[in-house]
Amino acid sequence: MSTSMSEKDQYKNRIDLLQGTLDMLILQTLQWGPQHGYGIVQALRLRSGDVLQVETGSLYPALHRLERQGWVQSEWKQSESKQRARYYRITAKGKKQLASDLGRWERIVEAIGLVMYLKPEESES
Amino acid sequence: MKWFPSFGFQRRKRELQEEIDAHLQMAIADRVARGETAETARAEAAREFGNIPLVQDVTRDIWGQGWLEQLGRDVRYALRQLRKSPGFTITATAMLAIAICANSTVFSWINGTMLRPIPGARDTGELVSLQRGERNFSPTPPFSYLDYHDLREQNRTFSGLLAYHNDWIALTGGAQPERVYIANVSANYFDVLGIKPVLGRFFLPEEEARAIPNVVLGYSLWKTRYAKDPAIVGKSIEVARHPVTVIGVAPEGFVGAAPGLRDDLWVTLDPLGTDGWRMTHRDSDWLIVIGRLRPGVSRGQAAEDLDTVMHHIVLAYPDQHLGDNRVTLDPMWRSPFGANGFMAATLPILLAFAGLVLLLTSANVATLTLVRFVSRRRELAIRQSLGANRMQLVRQMVLEGVVISSVAGAVALVLTLWTSKTFAWFFPANSIPLILNGSMDHKVVIGIAVSSLLASMLCGALPAWRSSHAPAIEVLKTESASISGGSRNRKLLSALVVAQIALSLPLLLCSGLFLRTLRNLAAANPGFEQDHVLTASVGLNIAGYSNDEAKLIRRKILDGVSALPGVEVASLTDWIPMTLIQKRDDAYPEGYVPHPHESLLVQNAEVGPRYFESLHIPILEGREFTLNDDETAPRVIIVNETAARRYWPGQDPVGKKLRVGGSLQAVIGVAKNSTHTFLNESPEPMVYMSYFQHPGYETVVQVKTEGNPVDLEPMVENAIHGVDSRLPVFDVRSMRESTQMASTFAVIESTLAGVFALIGLVLAITGIYGVVAYRTQLRTHEIGIRMALGASRVDVLRLVLVQGLWLTGIGLALGLAFALGLTRVIGRMLYGIGANDSITVVSVVMLLGAMSLAACYLPARRAMRRNPVTAIREL
Repeated sequence: MSTSMSEKDQYKNRIDLLQGTLDMLILQTLQWGPQHGYGIVQALRLRSGDVLQVETGSLYPALHRLERQGWVQSEWKQSESKQRARYYRITAKGKKQLASDLGRWERIVEAIGLVMYLKPEESES
Repeated sequence: MKWFPSFGFQRRKRELQEEIDAHLQMAIADRVARGETAETARAEAAREFGNIPLVQDVTRDIWGQGWLEQLGRDVRYALRQLRKSPGFTITATAMLAIAICANSTVFSWINGTMLRPIPGARDTGELVSLQRGERNFSPTPPFSYLDYHDLREQNRTFSGLLAYHNDWIALTGGAQPERVYIANVSANYFDVLGIKPVLGRFFLPEEEARAIPNVVLGYSLWKTRYAKDPAIVGKSIEVARHPVTVIGVAPEGFVGAAPGLRDDLWVTLDPLGTDGWRMTHRDSDWLIVIGRLRPGVSRGQAAEDLDTVMHHIVLAYPDQHLGDNRVTLDPMWRSPFGANGFMAATLPILLAFAGLVLLLTSANVATLTLVRFVSRRRELAIRQSLGANRMQLVRQMVLEGVVISSVAGAVALVLTLWTSKTFAWFFPANSIPLILNGSMDHKVVIGIAVSSLLASMLCGALPAWRSSHAPAIEVLKTESASISGGSRNRKLLSALVVAQIALSLPLLLCSGLFLRTLRNLAAANPGFEQDHVLTASVGLNIAGYSNDEAKLIRRKILDGVSALPGVEVASLTDWIPMTLIQKRDDAYPEGYVPHPHESLLVQNAEVGPRYFESLHIPILEGREFTLNDDETAPRVIIVNETAARRYWPGQDPVGKKLRVGGSLQAVIGVAKNSTHTFLNESPEPMVYMSYFQHPGYETVVQVKTEGNPVDLEPMVENAIHGVDSRLPVFDVRSMRESTQMASTFAVIESTLAGVFALIGLVLAITGIYGVVAYRTQLRTHEIGIRMALGASRVDVLRLVLVQGLWLTGIGLALGLAFALGLTRVIGRMLYGIGANDSITVVSVVMLLGAMSLAACYLPARRAMRRNPVTAIREL
């Protein structure tokens, strides 16, 4: 009981850490068309050149939360390989959210970049 | 295939499982496609996915914020906590179940009587009962047909006014004559009530005042006597030896417009054309009138409207409307016609008592709950420091109360299914077609739910809210020093004990007053002989004999019964006192000028020779009736003292004249006052008329016996049947049994108040015992130190007793103030005792005080006998 509790908390912490970013990544993936959970993991891995490995313990809570918030909709469909799977599709509301997430992300990257690449003489002037 | 988003927890769980399965299947398929063996592919996919149950768990947490699931968790937690202390759970549930059952039982009685005044009728809230003249607790029918007709046609505030008149009659024509209760009704009767026939039709407007012998059967009569004959409509049956035609059958459950009374069949106002006199005379009041208010019209507006119409009638016919003619309206739940007047005077007060019992029980359970929460303080504090917020803790504690009250409510519901039907037990054998009983329906269930909710708020929420205030760190730090749970909880505990004593005192006082009332009633002298008197009703008029036949039969019965051995005196009457039955008629004393609005209605009875002798009522002046006071002799009456004093103050009443029953009659005697209906009634004028001059509608043979009257029952019945074997004889009963009807309500009141007071006493005593014992136990350590430092046993005894006595004293003082306010309400239900009777008050206070003292003494003695050394060691 106690170990599972701490493991669960660990997962939660990771969700919190990634939350905004993971949501954005999922929504971006769904921009290219409806996808199931496994497909999202694969797509993120491929497109990030095997760098981003999303944990299922983060992915599924995130998908269900996004659905609750109305940013995605889900539907059961047959995949190409005749496997019945739950497909998630981005909604209009989700697209708006993605745009604002992206804007925020760019500002953060820009701000971090400003800090990281700051040249000493520039700061003096 | 479209999958609708589902809110069902189980279905969502299944879907998540399926989603994860699909994920794994696709991962395996990909790996196999890349050349892995099925075995390794499965293992690798599972490893990559991670801990499946954990993923499910964290995902469910996202939708687990649904309140229903959380509630389920809290309820399970509450049940687990309650299971841990079965003693508390069972005691609290049982106490609350009894308290809720007390409420729901009385409420089911109210529901079955006052709230369902006319079963089957549409929207009884719109119906009002009309009364004319002086308000009376159990009035006689107030309207003549012509007055009713004018009110009906000329009012502007009613969508309909109906009129009816009840009487006994016999159904003849079968093997055995059957005595049934019949109502003469206006043609719009069923229409105004909103009743539709199950067979045939009801009366037409043009049939109302004409002699058309049509009859509508009640459902139960149709079922029992005519075996639900589907072709009954159009058939001829015999009522009092007259053929009448069945035109319809009323629906099941409908038993007439008089609350609490059962009509068996209905005819129009004068179906045989034999009652022409009362159809055409405005001074013949025989109809009870009920109106349906137009939508949006208040009772006050309607009364004003009717008063205006009545005023015009009085102006046009002043001689027939001498007394008080104001019209008053009552809603059906307290209509004075039928049983609801009595119900309305009794049941709401009993419901208030039951409410007190519920409050008292809730206070008691709250005490137990608080003590429990205080002892669980550490657990609660730990949970709080582990992150449970206060709201969650309070919710869980409240839920424990809700669980207990809900179970108690369910138990009470089952109990009430039975107790609701016990109301009928209170009514002794009588000659009224009473159909009073409690009834269970959605209203009672709602009542139980409300009671449970109230109880759970009082005994769960209050202590929970108080307990949750304790700051966690303080509690955890100070292990034993503040073990009594802080001064806040101590104050609440004290308040609860005080409340219990204060609430039980009025219950005890009222029950004491009711019990003494009952004893006074049993011991009271009603002014006439109750033992050694037997009465038997003979269905002479209802069986349809002609007047001459009936006259002869009466004389023969009187002779036959008088000759029986063991019979001292036999007489005839049409009325038995103290049976809730009254007859009233306008009486106009010659030369008497009534005060404005004075009611001239007086009670009257037709009694035969030696009537007063058979009941031991002294004749103070003049003489009794004799056989010679018959139709050929001048009309004579006997009045009681009250009538004599009121009409002829300071004069000799004998020889004075009074117009009553349509003729001028001479007073030949004055009888001593005796009880008419209730022992606590104020004396009313009474006019006795000679039975052989005005043959009464009822024929009651009244016999004064030498021995036990019950032994003579078969002989009297045989003697009557000896005159004519077809004569219906019924209600053969001793006078003592008949007059029990008058104390029915005192019996109901004292029984319930007694039971409630007993519950109250037990709860208050266990409440104070529990709290004092608990506190003393917590102070064991302190007491040990005190004793080690030299305190004597008496000091310890005093220490413990004083706190209990303080609580008792405050409780008694508050309770006494409350009780004395409350007894004023029951003042008019008492007999032979004042509402603030000092003996009762003092004994009740002493009883409660002494019991509380005993309850405090037990823990005090235990503390006093402790060994100080072990006491100090104990924490």
